[in-house]
Amino acid sequence: MILIHCPYCDEQRPEIEFAYAGQAHIARPVDPDTYSDEEWERFLFIRANPRGRHHERWRHSHGCGRFFNAVRDTVTDKFETTYKAGEPRK
Amino acid sequence: MSDTLTRTEPVSSAPFVGEGISISLAVPMMRYSLRARQPQALETLLGVKVPTKIGAMEEGIACLGPDEWLLREPIGSKLVSGAGLPVSIVDISERAICLVVEGPRSAEILNAGCPLDLDRFAVGRATRTIFETVEIVLLRLAEDRFHVEVWRSFAPWMWTALTTAARH
Repeated sequence: MILIHCPYCDEQRPEIEFAYAGQAHIARPVDPDTYSDEEWERFLFIRANPRGRHHERWRHSHGCGRFFNAVRDTVTDKFETTYKAGEPRK
Repeated sequence: MSDTLTRTEPVSSAPFVGEGISISLAVPMMRYSLRARQPQALETLLGVKVPTKIGAMEEGIACLGPDEWLLREPIGSKLVSGAGLPVSIVDISERAICLVVEGPRSAEILNAGCPLDLDRFAVGRATRTIFETVEIVLLRLAEDRFHVEVWRSFAPWMWTALTTAARH
């Protein structure tokens, strides 16, 4: 089982306590009224699918309950780092 | 009317005793979910220091998350209202029951379903975690004594899972 470091608990915790929550750093539209259909499409549906380093949101759902960001390698499944939500992209 | 009602428990009130292990139902207690962005607001309200490190437990208050605490108290204790303070206090006494897992084999039996590294889970710590697929709050009260807080509806399954592991 993979151990994931929760930046809030500051501890390595078993993988099954966590839930994946999609790509990280997707900003909500500041002014949604002015968004075109193409911009909505990009915001809602278009996601990166890299081979290698991927920024992801995770939630420590069976622990402290917090969302945080992680950098995971999609090839090796290794977590490079995790950091609190709101912190700049690493 | 209420005094004519009798309390029913989801698991047997007779403890399970095996080699190096006993599993029993804890006495009913009051449980409160305390939420606050600033722990100072809770300290003002309760008049005690609340732990701020996630996973720590002090005087029956366990820090489960950065803004979440679980307070367990004996039945009959009254908690002051949080009116006027930026806190949320919810009585969740009947949401969960508590199983006491005791004996030298207790860590081994909990590890049958809980992947947490209990060698590094010191006495006095408390955390929300998972047992197989069931969410629990695990509290370590002594080297050989754990409390497992589990939701009532999951309790019969939890009891079967723990006693089955204890039989092996």
